Amino acid sequence: MSLRNWAAAALCTLGLALGAVPADAQKAGGTFVYLVQPEPPSLASYLSTSGPIGLVAPKIYDGLFDYDNDLNIVPALAESYEVSEDGKTVTFNLRQGVTWHDGAPFTSADVQFTVMSVLKEVHPRGPNSFREVTSIDTPDDHTAVFNLANPAPYMLRALSAYESPMVPKHLLEGTDIRSSDLATSPVGTGAYKFVEWKKGQYIRLDKNENYWKPGLPYIERIVGRFIPDASTRTAAMENGEVMYGAYGAIPNIDAVRLRDTDGFSVTTDGYSMINPMALIEFNTTKAPFDNSAIRKAISLAIDREFLIENIWFGYGKPATSALSTNFAPTGLYKAGLPNYAAKADVAGAIAMLDAAGITPDANGIRATAVLDLIPYGEDWRRAGEYMKQAMSEIGISLELRYEDVPTWLKRIYADYDFEMNINYFYQLPDPVLGVHRHYGTDQIRQGTHFVNSSRYSNPTLDALLASGAQEASATKRAEIYGEVQDILAEDMPVVNLFEMQFLTVYNEKLKDHATSALGAYGPFDRAWLDE
Amino acid sequence: MTFWKLFARNRGAVVGLAILILITFMAATAGIFFPEDPFSLAGQSMSPPGENGFLLGSDSLGRDVAAGIAHGAKTSLLIGLLATLVAVCVGIVMGALAGYYGGIIDDLLMRVTEMFQTIPSFIFAILLVAIMKPSIESIVIAIAVVSWPAVARLVRGEFLSLRNREFVQACHTLGMSDIRIMMGEILPNCLSPVIVIGSLMVATAILIESGLAFLGLGDPNIMSWGFQIGAGRTLLRSAWWVCTFPGIAILLTVLAINLVGEGINDALNPRLRERS
Repeated sequence: MSLRNWAAAALCTLGLALGAVPADAQKAGGTFVYLVQPEPPSLASYLSTSGPIGLVAPKIYDGLFDYDNDLNIVPALAESYEVSEDGKTVTFNLRQGVTWHDGAPFTSADVQFTVMSVLKEVHPRGPNSFREVTSIDTPDDHTAVFNLANPAPYMLRALSAYESPMVPKHLLEGTDIRSSDLATSPVGTGAYKFVEWKKGQYIRLDKNENYWKPGLPYIERIVGRFIPDASTRTAAMENGEVMYGAYGAIPNIDAVRLRDTDGFSVTTDGYSMINPMALIEFNTTKAPFDNSAIRKAISLAIDREFLIENIWFGYGKPATSALSTNFAPTGLYKAGLPNYAAKADVAGAIAMLDAAGITPDANGIRATAVLDLIPYGEDWRRAGEYMKQAMSEIGISLELRYEDVPTWLKRIYADYDFEMNINYFYQLPDPVLGVHRHYGTDQIRQGTHFVNSSRYSNPTLDALLASGAQEASATKRAEIYGEVQDILAEDMPVVNLFEMQFLTVYNEKLKDHATSALGAYGPFDRAWLDE
Repeated sequence: MTFWKLFARNRGAVVGLAILILITFMAATAGIFFPEDPFSLAGQSMSPPGENGFLLGSDSLGRDVAAGIAHGAKTSLLIGLLATLVAVCVGIVMGALAGYYGGIIDDLLMRVTEMFQTIPSFIFAILLVAIMKPSIESIVIAIAVVSWPAVARLVRGEFLSLRNREFVQACHTLGMSDIRIMMGEILPNCLSPVIVIGSLMVATAILIESGLAFLGLGDPNIMSWGFQIGAGRTLLRSAWWVCTFPGIAILLTVLAINLVGEGINDALNPRLRERS
């Protein structure tokens, strides 16, 4: 045995004897650089649900809960909870000994303030998530009792650090919440502390030494980099400068290539709480789309598989209902509905138009319309170009319109000056949170983005949605949403195209980053680097 | 010497003219050789050149790149010519008035011209197209708006130097109206540099249009070379042909127009006639 081998053997024995270092042990330390695309407007996750904020803020703030990849509740700031018999009182037992990054203790007063004065007031989705919460009692520092007007089972799915971050009362109380400095220098209870934001370049977070999960986090420093150009982002990933890019930061075409490259992996995990759905909204108040037959015909004539295969490189699932199949585990999704074709059914679409009396003129044109395209990148333009071709086969002549984001938002959600619009919505972990806003009469809110711009109004559906929101029994809820999906498959104010699968591309040196259902919007407290 | 002989002395110009004629022919016959809509999903997506019946390959949606280039030639030439025509007309009117009348009118018009010249032209064009909705009209208008000042300054200079010549004074004594002197007498005498600058402007206009389409500000309903390159940009590493061939088309067209422009300049500019 040579000296070197002997030394190696001795070291191995020593390692075994100590027993502390199994083959795949988490290593502490290191700097983790990831892509934040685009640069966030602020880090005020309590004010805005804008995607890039979600990439950074949940590492600084905690929620009452986290969720695992099967959407089970994982305790975070709330150690446990109890729901009363009638569903109208929810008691959270808060973790003891948690401090804010500035050293102040975290108490039930922070929870009360966050929900009642911040999330219910200024958060885009908070007023909906906490709509039934009438008051919060704080019998002691570690107990928060939510008093509800009606049972709200969906509320327990909206308590993540991304959706409902707990914010410090002592820094926000008495200030104007919308313009607080906390937006750019956040103070949370999370695994990482905010250190520095270099505009146009990066955001730096350092390990929170006093984090309430013992021994966590492993990573010493997190840097979120802003790289505006897509091919530069891909290059940075390839040369190891950044290790992680989610929400399409790396375009699908490059992601597919990196998937087949050693040292890189691609995953679609970590988006089940987001549940994105690509779709077409119609202006149902005027011709030609005031007739449900033409909307259904369009749904039939779209080759959803072609879209997924050629534009999104195979990542996506054809839509089969108003709800995503991700709702199947909770029993809310209904399969086997009509009018959602995976492959184009042109003959069926034409028969439907003929039956409805929408007949072609001398040039073979049955209807003309302008199709607005969501200005979020090239993929959507390609989808629009596909739509134009596909619709010409059933005699619908489309003109494409592509504008900048503010003009487009104003046109669709404030002026209602559109006919059809390609878009995508997050369905979120419960239909009450993400789907109701699309169809309810009370969601026709002129000027509010991403709500019922179709202006579809159906009292039967409204009643079903209202009872679905309050129903505590899972089987009864499933029945209610089954009916909702039947109605929507027949009326189709919105044509769902496909369940989007966002891609996360990562360097394989990064481990345990996908431990939360929130994926890139998660805390990253258990991630570590194998370098 | 005839114009053609003068022009033909410049070999490059003749080559340029030949390429230009070829491209014009391609644009004119696009509908015959490629009767299908260039946006039609013609077959297998991302086919390399020569496979699946695609001469120059197909893009991510299975659109024929060759058909796109042929139909795009029409768009590029049309936009180039139209935008130049508008810019030259506006430029001539502004320059002629400023140069002929001088004084306050000259000051006023030239300050306006300078205002336009101080804004970087491509950024100005982006701004204009973004404000108006991207369509073929708005693109022509945007290109014309950023291109006319050069013509105006050139025409003004020519008018300034010609307005005190004897033949113009003779016209005055004959009692001709200002309009008639400007349009009938001075303008024909300064047309040759205008033609030269106009021919070069066609090339710039094509480049601006391609740049706008590349940035996604083209008319989404009309096939153009810039659109093809913009659409193929993300595919560059897996399907090089999608943006390479339209790129070559732009290169050749702009080069050809520049060569022709130089040839015209050689032929029309008396000071260069003796150049060998």
